[in-house]
Amino acid sequence: MSTPLEKPQIIVHIQKSLNYTVFDSKWIPCSAKFVTMGNFPRGTGVMQIYEINQGELQLVKEIEKPKPIKCGTFGATSLQQRHLATGDFDGNLHIWNLEVPDVPVYTVKAHKEIVNSIDGVGGLGIGDGAPEIVTGSRDGTVKVWDPRQKDTPVANMEPVEGETKRDCWTVAFGNAFNDQDRCVCAGYDNGDIKLFDLRNMSLRWETNIKNGVCCVEFDRKDINMNKLVATSLEGKFHVFDLRTQHPTKGFASVSEKAHKSTVWQVRHLPQNRDIFMTAGGAGNLHLWKYEYPAQRSKKDSEEVDMGVAGTVNLLQNVTLSTQPIASLDWSPDKQGLCVCTAFDQSVRVLIVTKLNRV
Amino acid sequence: MSAEIVNGLLNTEVINSSKIPVEHLDYDYIQKCTDVGYLEKILKVLRSGEEGIYPHLIDFCEKHVEKLNPRSRALRKDKPVASAASLPKDEWSQISEELESWETEMRAGEVQLKQLPLFGDEENVPPIRGSNCSVQSTSASGVKKNKNKAPCPRGYKDWDKFDVEKECAKVDEVVTNDSARTVISHSHPKIKTNLHTSVLTEQEKVVLANREKDKGNEAFKTGDYEEALAYYSRSLSILPTVAAYNNRAQAEIKLQNWHKALSDCQKVLELEPANAKGLLRRATVQKHLGNLQLAVDDVNAVLHIEPHNEIAKKLLNELSKKMAERVPEKPAKRQKMLIEEIEEEEEEKEHEARDGAVDSSSRQRAGGESCAAAATGEERGDMGNAQKKPHGRGDGGGGGRGGCSADKYTVTPPKGEEGARKGLANGNSAAHQAEKADRERAEQSKVNLDAPAGNLPPRLARLKNEGNHLFKNGQFGDAIGKYSQAIDGYTEAGVDSPEDLCILYSNRAACYLKDGNSSDCITDCTKSLELQPFSLKPLLRRAMAYESLERYRNAYVDYKTVLQIDIGIQAAHDSVNRITRMLIEQDGPEWREKLPEIPMVPLSAQQHRREEPPSAEEAQARAERATQEAARKAEARFTLFKSDGNEFVKKGRYEEAVGKYSECLKLKPNECAIYTNRALCFVKLDRFAEAKQDCDAALALEPENKKAFYRRALANKGLKDYLACSTDLQEVLRLDSSVAEAERELQEVTELLRQSLAAAASPGKARRSVPITEVDDTEEAATKKQDTTTEQNHVDQAKSIAITQPANAYEFGQALSVARSHDDTAACAELLRLVAPETLPSYVSTYLDGHTLAFIMQALDDHLLDKEPGLVYQHLNHLHTAERFSMLLMLLDKDKRRQMTQLFEHLSAVESEDFSQNDVQNLANKYI
Repeated sequence: MSTPLEKPQIIVHIQKSLNYTVFDSKWIPCSAKFVTMGNFPRGTGVMQIYEINQGELQLVKEIEKPKPIKCGTFGATSLQQRHLATGDFDGNLHIWNLEVPDVPVYTVKAHKEIVNSIDGVGGLGIGDGAPEIVTGSRDGTVKVWDPRQKDTPVANMEPVEGETKRDCWTVAFGNAFNDQDRCVCAGYDNGDIKLFDLRNMSLRWETNIKNGVCCVEFDRKDINMNKLVATSLEGKFHVFDLRTQHPTKGFASVSEKAHKSTVWQVRHLPQNRDIFMTAGGAGNLHLWKYEYPAQRSKKDSEEVDMGVAGTVNLLQNVTLSTQPIASLDWSPDKQGLCVCTAFDQSVRVLIVTKLNRV
Repeated sequence: MSAEIVNGLLNTEVINSSKIPVEHLDYDYIQKCTDVGYLEKILKVLRSGEEGIYPHLIDFCEKHVEKLNPRSRALRKDKPVASAASLPKDEWSQISEELESWETEMRAGEVQLKQLPLFGDEENVPPIRGSNCSVQSTSASGVKKNKNKAPCPRGYKDWDKFDVEKECAKVDEVVTNDSARTVISHSHPKIKTNLHTSVLTEQEKVVLANREKDKGNEAFKTGDYEEALAYYSRSLSILPTVAAYNNRAQAEIKLQNWHKALSDCQKVLELEPANAKGLLRRATVQKHLGNLQLAVDDVNAVLHIEPHNEIAKKLLNELSKKMAERVPEKPAKRQKMLIEEIEEEEEEKEHEARDGAVDSSSRQRAGGESCAAAATGEERGDMGNAQKKPHGRGDGGGGGRGGCSADKYTVTPPKGEEGARKGLANGNSAAHQAEKADRERAEQSKVNLDAPAGNLPPRLARLKNEGNHLFKNGQFGDAIGKYSQAIDGYTEAGVDSPEDLCILYSNRAACYLKDGNSSDCITDCTKSLELQPFSLKPLLRRAMAYESLERYRNAYVDYKTVLQIDIGIQAAHDSVNRITRMLIEQDGPEWREKLPEIPMVPLSAQQHRREEPPSAEEAQARAERATQEAARKAEARFTLFKSDGNEFVKKGRYEEAVGKYSECLKLKPNECAIYTNRALCFVKLDRFAEAKQDCDAALALEPENKKAFYRRALANKGLKDYLACSTDLQEVLRLDSSVAEAERELQEVTELLRQSLAAAASPGKARRSVPITEVDDTEEAATKKQDTTTEQNHVDQAKSIAITQPANAYEFGQALSVARSHDDTAACAELLRLVAPETLPSYVSTYLDGHTLAFIMQALDDHLLDKEPGLVYQHLNHLHTAERFSMLLMLLDKDKRRQMTQLFEHLSAVESEDFSQNDVQNLANKYI
């Protein structure tokens, strides 16, 4: 247990107002720069690159694009190239070379409707295997793309003909610990969480958490899947222990009602998989730590192994804004540094202290 | 816990409708109430302000809830975000500084990153999913092929169906959706532990290696040691770091893979010889391997670096208990203890030899992590070398087998070359093994790259030696280049010496093996074996290469062949067992039928290993053996004298020890260690001039011998030549900055030097120091006369150590422990006299234990009480305010209590105006 003095503190290092609605922000790996993505009032899309420089944000580059940009990821690019993959309101997937952003390196009309969420794996040294991008869209489909293959996805997951299509709000990669194994987790507006196994091309597990799933994230993408956090519309989040899958009960989980409103985002600390931050609809941030149980699996009444969930501890909570915090990203290079954007049209660089002591 | 909270929440909703009676909003009620749920409700009502606002009551209620359940959700409050101003100034400046340096670092890194050419890493990237049918997807024929052209949308049900179809093809697949089995993800065997790093930049490597290590740490924390192991190995395959080796060692310890852990610790200590964690872990491993003495040595080394390391102390206790149990059956152990004290080098060598023997098998299992490929035979050869000298001393861990095999193994060329490698490892310590065969000696000196190697022409020999050197330094790629050049040169030169070519191939194979290039390793081994069928090393290396390629059958055959040649190779035994299991799993009970034929090893080849190289070399070898025999006899006598000397030193009979050592020196005038040992005796006998001479002699033999420097420093100190003394000490510290005594000594001497200089400046006292400095090494007679004075000085000095006033707790602690180690209560009393009673608790608190307390009490009682009772009272009056004092009191044993009572009795008997009888009585109550 940490004493109050030893508690991590969340500090706003830099705050900057923007003249557009910002949806997503991502650190550029191996740099002190990040990209914000959003939508100008005139209806066009925008990407801005900021660099932190002695306590100030310097605008390095502004790129305007015809369609508002909803989400982006660096997950499928090499550290040398650092190409940003984005999804926009029109359902397009683009990959940009931020040095030469006029023409996308890769482009595809991925979905019929807005791309809500995007994630990448296989790049940046995170995850063995091919670089792949997964997109989830309002049209109800989840598609996996390989930047080396034009026009068609390498995997497509959608409901059968006739079934109502649910809005897919969030996607995430995980379990990429060797060349073959890889999973995609998708969360839907009706509370469904589906875990697709890309190796077997099968639906490995599904559950429903009753409220719309705003964000899912594996604690680490590139390990044998360990934990999954899913946040919901009604202020709860669930942590699933993915090590032991019971044939009927599935994965064990613990849930926590953390926020009074929607939990928009969850992001695990890149340097410690057991610490994660949730961002709420009321402009607040909660920093959590997952504590493992003494035994992670036990036998049930029929002598079948089942998982045991641990507990979550609140390390710190702060209120940043009155508006929802829509995006949050930890710096992969500097522990404790993170950037978040809120619907009050501002971007904030935060420092979380003492993370190595919790 | 969580259920409780949920209940609490549910109730909250219910209660909102049914009201909480106003009487309950009361201090008394809240104080008595233990139902957290109800208190939370009360808190809610209070906060809502429905019944009025009572800030203090709210506060009180919150505190009470916190006491009952610190994690209660009701206590969570929305807090505004902190800013730079809310942190202490220095903390914030530290953070912002760190951040700024990170920014600049990142900027520089980015520039670098951009300058690099973009490598096409295509061949390492797995193919696009579905576009290239991998093994498991072949059976899913139609569906999969469709996918290649246009992936048709698939419903969830289809996905399931798809899975079932594929099920039959995937024999090794664990995931079965329809069977009623729990899926537990055990991924570790499937995690790739070797990564392609050739195309990565340094910066990327650092990032990746760190991340893999973090992953390992996380897995370790959750108890997945095997997984942690895999990630640490990954990290190491990208970039070897001390931390990763250290952590992997810990994981191996948890998995009880002692040998692997040992080799990892060894790696750590190679990279960072004074790594306390590494030493401690090696100690743990040695303990479990039964090498108690080695473990004790390691723990002592740790305590040397970190004197207050609790774990080390505990381990040491455990070890000494175990040792005590063992001593009767293994007298050899006891003997080693004394050797450890006087002659570390020797010990180190033995360590290495023994470690080698114990550990070679493990190193091999670890996939050729060191030059292990080189097999047990060589390790043993080296062990033999080490053992010839001490003769009958090293019968501990390694078992006796090394001793008898020693001379059988020394003469064949591959051995010599291995010896060179070992020689490099042993560094200087090897240098004094002068009476080894000529060639061997040449090779042992560190940089002799021109040493002859077999029948190779000098140019090729040089290439080969350079290769060996590079190999030793871990530059395997470069070593491969050298060996390849040598091989090319060999064919051009047209020398007829298949053995040498065989060695070259075999060496290159070792490099390939280390580089993970198993297929080339196999090719080279095969070539080598064509030249010299049934050579041990190439066979072993090929076996390992096969094993790493998972071609178990071939590996099995090779290992079996190795065992036919030499049955004693433990690594081969282990591997055969392991592979047998693998093969049974793979091929079922008929696995033997699928094996290729195991070649019969001709008797000659077997003898070749057991005895000497055949025919041509035989005569020469015999002659060599004869000289060695003679040398060994001399050596035996030498060793006898030396161990006698060591024995005497241990018993404190320095005079006799000097005699024995002198005998030794008659036999071998060039033995540095003997000189240093004799110097030690002289120092102990206060015959400083002679000590100095011996040190000089030792330094002439070994200009870098830090022990000689240290002892010369002591001698110089004894001779009051502080300047020379401090130079020597500085030399020691330059050679090895971790020698704590040297540092301490240096501090003291600098102090003394300053004093003597000051004395020289003041004319009255100057005369005293001058004659002493002059006498030092010239006239024997003067020295004799001086002896008494120096002795006197020495005693004075011992006092002066204690009586410098300590400026901080550390100095106080040092002085106290010095006094305690000599059981010198007078010094302690002196120390206490110099310390202000108010500061005593803060000084003493970190060192306070039962013995120290008793020691202080005794010092007070014996020395200070009659002179300065007031001071004693003051000290006692403050001492009990030290931290943990009350705890300590509870743990005191009877004797110490009695001692304390005695002190107070004495104190109360003293009449003084500083305190009254009553005061003493009150104080005594606090102690007793």
